[in-house]
Amino acid sequence: MSDKLKEIISKQEQQQESVVEQLDDVVQLVGFVIGDEEYAVPILSIQEIIKPFPWTRVPQVPKYVLGVFNLRGSVIPLIDLRTKFGLPTKKQNDETRFIVIRDGDDVAGFVIDRLTMAIRIKKENIGPPPDTVNGENTTIDGVGKQADRIITILKVNKLLERDF
Amino acid sequence: MDEFQEILQDFLVESFELVEKLDEDLVELETHPDDLELLNGIFRVAHTVKGASSFLNFDTLTHLTHHMEDVLNKARHGELTITPDVMDVILESIDLMKALLEKIRDTSSDDGIDVSACVARLDKISNGDLSGLADAVAAQEAKEENSTVVEEDIEEPEPEEELDYENMDPDDVEAEIERLLAQRQAEDKAKREAKIAAGEEVPSMPPEPSEEEAKKEKKEEKTEAKKAPAPTPAPSKQAKSQKSSSDEAKAAAPAKRAPATVEQTIRVDVKRLDHLMNLIGELVLAKNRLIKINDDVEERYEGEEFLEELNQVVSIVSLVTTDLQIAVMKTRMLPIGKVFNKFPRMIRDLSRELNKKIDLVISGEDTELDKSIVEEIGDPLVHIIRNSCDHGIETPEERLAKGKPETGTIALKAYNEGNQIVIQIDDDGKGLDPEMLKEKSLQKGIITEKEAESMSDREAYTLIFKPGFSTAAAVTSVSGRGVGMDVVKTNIEKLNGIIDIDSEVNVGTSIKLKIPLTLAIIQALLVGVQEEHYAIPLASVLETVRISKDEIYTVEGRSVMRLRDDILSLVHISDIFEVERILDASEHVYVVVLGLGTSKLGLIVDSLVGQEEIVIKSLGDYLKGIEGIAGATIRGDGGVTLIVDVVALMNMAKDVKATALTESNAGESASSEKTKPSDYVIMVVDDSKTDRTIMRKSLEPMGVTIVEANDGQEALNILKSGEYNFDAMLIDIEMPRMDGYTLATEIKKYNRYKNMPLIAVTSRTSKADRMRGVESGMVEYITKPYSADYLASVVQRNVNFKPEFM
Repeated sequence: MSDKLKEIISKQEQQQESVVEQLDDVVQLVGFVIGDEEYAVPILSIQEIIKPFPWTRVPQVPKYVLGVFNLRGSVIPLIDLRTKFGLPTKKQNDETRFIVIRDGDDVAGFVIDRLTMAIRIKKENIGPPPDTVNGENTTIDGVGKQADRIITILKVNKLLERDF
Repeated sequence: MDEFQEILQDFLVESFELVEKLDEDLVELETHPDDLELLNGIFRVAHTVKGASSFLNFDTLTHLTHHMEDVLNKARHGELTITPDVMDVILESIDLMKALLEKIRDTSSDDGIDVSACVARLDKISNGDLSGLADAVAAQEAKEENSTVVEEDIEEPEPEEELDYENMDPDDVEAEIERLLAQRQAEDKAKREAKIAAGEEVPSMPPEPSEEEAKKEKKEEKTEAKKAPAPTPAPSKQAKSQKSSSDEAKAAAPAKRAPATVEQTIRVDVKRLDHLMNLIGELVLAKNRLIKINDDVEERYEGEEFLEELNQVVSIVSLVTTDLQIAVMKTRMLPIGKVFNKFPRMIRDLSRELNKKIDLVISGEDTELDKSIVEEIGDPLVHIIRNSCDHGIETPEERLAKGKPETGTIALKAYNEGNQIVIQIDDDGKGLDPEMLKEKSLQKGIITEKEAESMSDREAYTLIFKPGFSTAAAVTSVSGRGVGMDVVKTNIEKLNGIIDIDSEVNVGTSIKLKIPLTLAIIQALLVGVQEEHYAIPLASVLETVRISKDEIYTVEGRSVMRLRDDILSLVHISDIFEVERILDASEHVYVVVLGLGTSKLGLIVDSLVGQEEIVIKSLGDYLKGIEGIAGATIRGDGGVTLIVDVVALMNMAKDVKATALTESNAGESASSEKTKPSDYVIMVVDDSKTDRTIMRKSLEPMGVTIVEANDGQEALNILKSGEYNFDAMLIDIEMPRMDGYTLATEIKKYNRYKNMPLIAVTSRTSKADRMRGVESGMVEYITKPYSADYLASVVQRNVNFKPEFM
């Protein structure tokens, strides 16, 4: 009996340790797919993820700004990341989601093809953006390396910045 | 430090209030120089400000007000008559005082404004008429005088009190006096403390003088008591009357000679009111939504008992919400008198400067407006009134020559008219001469000769609002720079207001500013264009008309229509907001006539949806500054509707060429070249799986692509998604949700599908059914049962199936 107890206690300790470890150098991201690529943004910048619903078109804006929608009384812009990344438009389907991202007072909804998962990734596994993208203007924050794939991490403040 | 800031804040709020009232009083004083009541009031303002500023160590302000006090004090005692020249100096000093107060507000210090010149002039006045009395003495006097004045307020009920001392024993009197004195001192102290706490200081009653006063009082009482010794006093009653009198004095002191009835008010931070207003906005949206849901429920559960109850609740909620909204709106309302107050002074200065005689008649100053509007309306009014004084009212000689009274009159009026406030400025001056206005504008190149010819008088009046226009021959310090009236127009338009001008030569000019009551929640007209809705502020909508397309003419590349006697230029809303024309426009369109300031524009829309109360929401940082869009609102159904910015829209309309209303894109949708049988796409709409399978089996041998839909609604959604380019549709008539006829009618509304063959496949065989089919736009009518070959051949014929694929 006492052996079992000890086992449980040691297990708990291990868990706690791992939690501490996570806090230190692990970044939590939410991954999603646009076109064939997997992207991610920090989990804390996401206000919510919702299923698509109707929006209102706004005139005189670039094509990737689909319009505005009502999120519980707030009027929020909706941006199509496919169009923004230069991919052909695709019909929205069951997997399409709106990710509502917030940075300070700036909020916007982004249309993505589908969600993948919440990702924990060690900081040491995140590399700088490839040299081919030019310095300040990139929306790419870094490239996360997972065992079997590569994830592009996006800069939240750049996504929410008006560039027209 | 915080405490100091708090006191300072209160000091500023109070001082500005006092000064505002002062302007009015001073002008009044000039007409009634003997009005002691007024003089006392004015004197006290200077005094209060002086007292408070010395307490707060604003030396410059103290210095200035001190000298003002001197002059006013003399006037009060009849040692000095108020002549216009004296008044000029007093007014100048008040302006300086304002400037100092503003400086203190902005920088918390009164350094950097030179008052010495003005002080010197004030001194001169107070010395000039008064022989030999030194400044210091006068000041001393002023101080003492004032302290007695204030004391007087407190002592007012005293006589009554003193009656109680009749026949009192001298010793008792002595004791009573001691007690009273102590009580009085304690009260004074408490009162002073209360005032300090309230940010008020009345150093006119510093401890020493009040004690002196008290001593004096004591002496007086003594003598009185000796004269008539008295039995038992009534201390409780006495204390009460003392207390109430001091209360009164407390209230009276800051408000100068305020009437005995004190208004029950509290000061509230505007931010809190704004927050309240936002919350009400949310509530209004929720209410709209509730009403919509109620309507839906009513339709679905007609006759059910709970409906009655729901109806009641909904109407109560909506009633209370509306009341609440009005109540909160009212808390933000200020009387427009706040703005009007400064005009008597302005007119006075202007008439002296321009050597004209002008009377200002103000009425309706109690009319209330939203705070934000009151703040914005001041400048435009200043410009209009300056303009009336300078250009409108003639010189006394001219007026007499014309047979008018020597003194010109400007009437400033405010009143409610429906959901709007109207501010009307009338003058009985020389009026606007349309011909002269046109000529001037021609000279300045503001309009072309052609425009001048076709211009109505009313349009000509509006020329005065054009930037760069000025009718004054020479630029005076008052006006003529051609900036003012332009500012009026922009400011009024910013408030969604309308300007109306009416004028008659030699009779006068009347300018009306019509302004909505509030800015946050507005009445809007909802219009539809294609599948989109837009909200237009109702304040800018003059009328709506339904016209047929034949009534639209094109002149110089612009669309116009005839509206009664006027020519109205038109613009299609879809040209401004880049709306894609998917639906075929009907023969008739609606024209929303927008009026803004003085210009008009007809906005062509497809449909009018209705009038609704909407709450203006910002589009946020990301989308701000989109031309033509003022914001967004959330509708009853939870959707977002954009609000049209009428000002911007009118500007944008200038660049829009004639609308291509009649233009059709039918040719473009011509099917691209077919290279294989599967390039042909056919939609099969039937609610029965078996029927769909039969049709599929019949068509499959041809090799065409087949898309299936369960009912009309689904079929329409597939069409709208634009995923396929259909060549033909096979439609069953009897279907749930949307039947075949309705579907056909809907499809024909789309430009793109106008020429697509629709083939009815049905078991209905009557002639009437066939007729309905044709009416709704079906080209073929196949009755079930049919042979597979027959169906295939009909389809082939209708889609121009290329023979080589067979």
